[in-house]
Amino acid sequence: MLASQQGRRSTWDRWSGMLFVAPYLLLFVLMLVVPLVIGFRLSLTRGDLFGIREEVGFANYGRLFADPVFIQVIWNTLYFVVLTVPAFAVLGLLLALALNQQSRWAAVLRAIFFASTVLSVTVVTLIWRLVLLPEQGLAAVLANAIGAEPVAFLSSQATAMPAIAVTTIWWGIGLPMVLFLAALQQVPRDLYEAAALDGASRWRTLRSITLPSIKRTMVLVIIVEIILQFQLFGQAQLLTNGGPNNSTRPIVLFIYEAGWKQWQLGYAAAAAQILFAMIAIAAMAQYYVSSRRDAA
Amino acid sequence: MPLRYLAFPLAALAALSACGERDDRTEITVQRFFGACQAEYGDVIDPQEAEGECGIITAMINQFEAENPDIKVVENTVFWPGYDQLTSQIAANGPPDVVTMHSSAIPDYEARDLLEPLGEDLPALGLTADDFTAAARAGVTVDGEVMGIPIDVWAPLWHINLNLFREAGLVDSQGRPIMPRSTEEFLEHADRFVEATGKPYFIQVTTKDLAGPSRIFQVYMMQQGDPVFPDPRHADFDNARGREVLKFMRDVYAGGYSVRDQDYAANVSAFLRGMGGILVDGTWMVGQFDAAAHDPDSPLYQGYAVRPVPMMFDGPPVSLVDGHNWVMPRDSSRTPEERAAALRFLRFFAENDFQWARTGHFPAYRRIIDSAQWQGLPHRDDIAIITEIGQPLPNYVRRQAPIELIVGEEVSAAFTGAKPIDAALRDMERRTNDVLQSF
Amino acid sequence: MSSAAVRRVPRAAVIGVTMAAGLMVLPMLWVLILSLKDSSALMADTTTAFSPPWTLVNYANIVGDGQVAVWLLNSTIVSLLMTGGVLFLSSLAGYGFARLEFPGRNILFIVVLFGLAIPEQAVIIGRHQLFAAAEMHNTYTALVMPGLSAPFGVFLMTQYFRAIPREIDEAAMLDGASRFRVFWRVLLPLTVPAQATLGIFTFFHAWNDYWWPLISATNRDMLTLTVGIAASQQNFAQAEGLGFLMAQAVFAGLPVLIIYVIFQKYIVRAVAGAAGQ
Repeated sequence: MLASQQGRRSTWDRWSGMLFVAPYLLLFVLMLVVPLVIGFRLSLTRGDLFGIREEVGFANYGRLFADPVFIQVIWNTLYFVVLTVPAFAVLGLLLALALNQQSRWAAVLRAIFFASTVLSVTVVTLIWRLVLLPEQGLAAVLANAIGAEPVAFLSSQATAMPAIAVTTIWWGIGLPMVLFLAALQQVPRDLYEAAALDGASRWRTLRSITLPSIKRTMVLVIIVEIILQFQLFGQAQLLTNGGPNNSTRPIVLFIYEAGWKQWQLGYAAAAAQILFAMIAIAAMAQYYVSSRRDAA
Repeated sequence: MPLRYLAFPLAALAALSACGERDDRTEITVQRFFGACQAEYGDVIDPQEAEGECGIITAMINQFEAENPDIKVVENTVFWPGYDQLTSQIAANGPPDVVTMHSSAIPDYEARDLLEPLGEDLPALGLTADDFTAAARAGVTVDGEVMGIPIDVWAPLWHINLNLFREAGLVDSQGRPIMPRSTEEFLEHADRFVEATGKPYFIQVTTKDLAGPSRIFQVYMMQQGDPVFPDPRHADFDNARGREVLKFMRDVYAGGYSVRDQDYAANVSAFLRGMGGILVDGTWMVGQFDAAAHDPDSPLYQGYAVRPVPMMFDGPPVSLVDGHNWVMPRDSSRTPEERAAALRFLRFFAENDFQWARTGHFPAYRRIIDSAQWQGLPHRDDIAIITEIGQPLPNYVRRQAPIELIVGEEVSAAFTGAKPIDAALRDMERRTNDVLQSF
Repeated sequence: MSSAAVRRVPRAAVIGVTMAAGLMVLPMLWVLILSLKDSSALMADTTTAFSPPWTLVNYANIVGDGQVAVWLLNSTIVSLLMTGGVLFLSSLAGYGFARLEFPGRNILFIVVLFGLAIPEQAVIIGRHQLFAAAEMHNTYTALVMPGLSAPFGVFLMTQYFRAIPREIDEAAMLDGASRFRVFWRVLLPLTVPAQATLGIFTFFHAWNDYWWPLISATNRDMLTLTVGIAASQQNFAQAEGLGFLMAQAVFAGLPVLIIYVIFQKYIVRAVAGAAGQ
């Protein structure tokens, strides 16, 4: 019956649906597929922003993995992801649990925690620079006030990346909080009623009802944050410029410096492909692990 | 529904395009660093009333516009050093008409044929290449071709808080600061200074803005004679000289004689607040610090001096210099009228270079260096020797801007103790060679 | 959710969260008071910000300068254009993928889904070259177009259209409405919640975009707020000073914060709406 129906349809009918998706697909190809191909093609060359100078095959990739700075940069990026993503997941969930109520006060607090999310990265780094500056910053002012020794967060290797992570968490905590709040409100209420009747403790209710019910959101939050935090750029560029001693330079800053400062566009393009691969692998691994656990 | 969303931006766009007024003036785009200070100097058209790089250049451009009503200057202020943007603009075929460029960066752009040679335009500017000082001329000349119009020659200097030096007894009978003549003497003086004042002897950039540490390192390397860049493709840092320099810088830092955890802005602020003896900073600050020395509220009041970086190693007298220049990127869409207007702008700057030299920079023109007017500016006789002993890094070395960042990162890692000296020298050399061999 | 069955949050947690909220707000208040001080006073000592005299001179300077207003306008135009464009294209495509039959539909949709995994950074060099070749940098088009290709919107709208019962369009079709009319008049109004979610996401994404405008918009008049402030941030040693810079931060941050406070109920609800998909 399907076949006979299709037979009757004119060519126009068959293809007209395409008109709805065509405008987007055109942009998709132009702005995503074509640049991806250009980027990959450039990664096989030596050249600068003004043109390709020679074909070098996969030499740029070989160079990258022999470049201790790049290896360090990968570790820096992973370190940052490890510092931020679990914090986003845990803090976001805690905030959501605490603020999942209809009081006016909770609404005000929810608004506060989400507010910093709307600021742009340059404003955020401006604010945090004035918090973290060793002599004039708010942290130093407060430390002096209580008689403690101010810490130079951004110029010590041990504290620079954590400081960038704190800045980032301050900036972005609103998103995971709101996502968890939405999930909590969809947990069927009768489950809680049943638990209350059984006299289950608060902790037990959380473990056996709340957490399993928001598992999908947990996965969503983790995947979204992994993708976002792998792309660290502005905070590091504006707060530390990659220092001290290359300890806060993320992959994206490496790409920017290689392409725009050092005029090694092919090298930068190769690094971009590796970033792409890392994000794809991390997101897929997370998805795979969580869906397997679902099945088990 | 989406229509409603679309209506507003479209209306806004239409309104925006409608408000662009008709303007018959020839428009030139002038791109520069040196900071933005429209708030303070936006209305000043007499450079004499301005202080500092940003103030003076803003006022000079205002003056040019006032005197040339047929030319509209679009001033594009980029953050230092601005090469990321310039590179993007050139790649996009939309470069400015004239743009500030360090002498050390000109060879990069010249090699890719991105700049217009200006040698043939010199007569139109009322100039010959002989009008430039030797250092300025060397800075804009690549393979015998004049690629830009010099603005200045600059050098890193030691800016001195004389009030604190007096406290530490580091002044001679005529009240002049006593400079160290060796690294041992440096440490000795530093010790005395810290003892007497409780403040660090040396204010240097230790974090984030890495051009500073790089320049200090290069000066000390040059003071030992042999070239750091034996040829265009190689750097030679990983040697006994490099070790000696980094060990000295490490001693200064580890001995507690240097400030810690300061970027460039913190440096300037610390010096102005009287928080240390010697600030390593460029010629561009002389004018501003001298102004502070005349302000009774300033810790520098009647207590500012400036010197070239003293010779503390065994080589010949030398000072590291670079220069600022105007260059004209190639642009096929530039009309003859626009080009002529841009040349008038360059001519104006050449004629008024004295105003720029008030910042503290060395003028790019012999007639100004030789003038009583320049020599009569404060502190100039203390640093004028640099016009004779100043040397840039060789101009066959490409990519000096990113190399400066690499060297600075490794140098600061070494002297702050984040990385062993040997490892820093090795990495510095390897990373620099990587860049030098990447094109 | 107010039901008694949902356990009350313990008091300790409320106090803890309130203190955390204080920590969230503290840096903003700090910057606000810094912006009310003369730069020269701040250079000597930032703790002077805690005591008078305060001044509005930094804000007067910003208004007098005019640059920040241009950046603000650019950011607004770019963000609104991108939001409108994404909503329009994603709605069309979402309807197409969810409701219409055409050859290759499923494969195309899967290809678009793969696009979700492509980070902007992986394609930015190619985009830069592309716009350079077209000589289109430093235009609104260049700032807006890349954002229109993000597959998230298409994915979201497709899911949303799929969730609408088919009977609704079938009834309209029986009434003789054209396919476009069904889309425009019948289904689209039902997708308002999804539109709001997508619109808000897109707006903030565009507003906060940093790397692309940094390399594409290099002429003074085309800078967005994010890039413009980055420029003065890196200049501040030689430029207007701390108070001015802080005032810039407030000036740049306040409009979005105000918009946020006014619409915060809808915004939070809309963002939450995305989680349901």
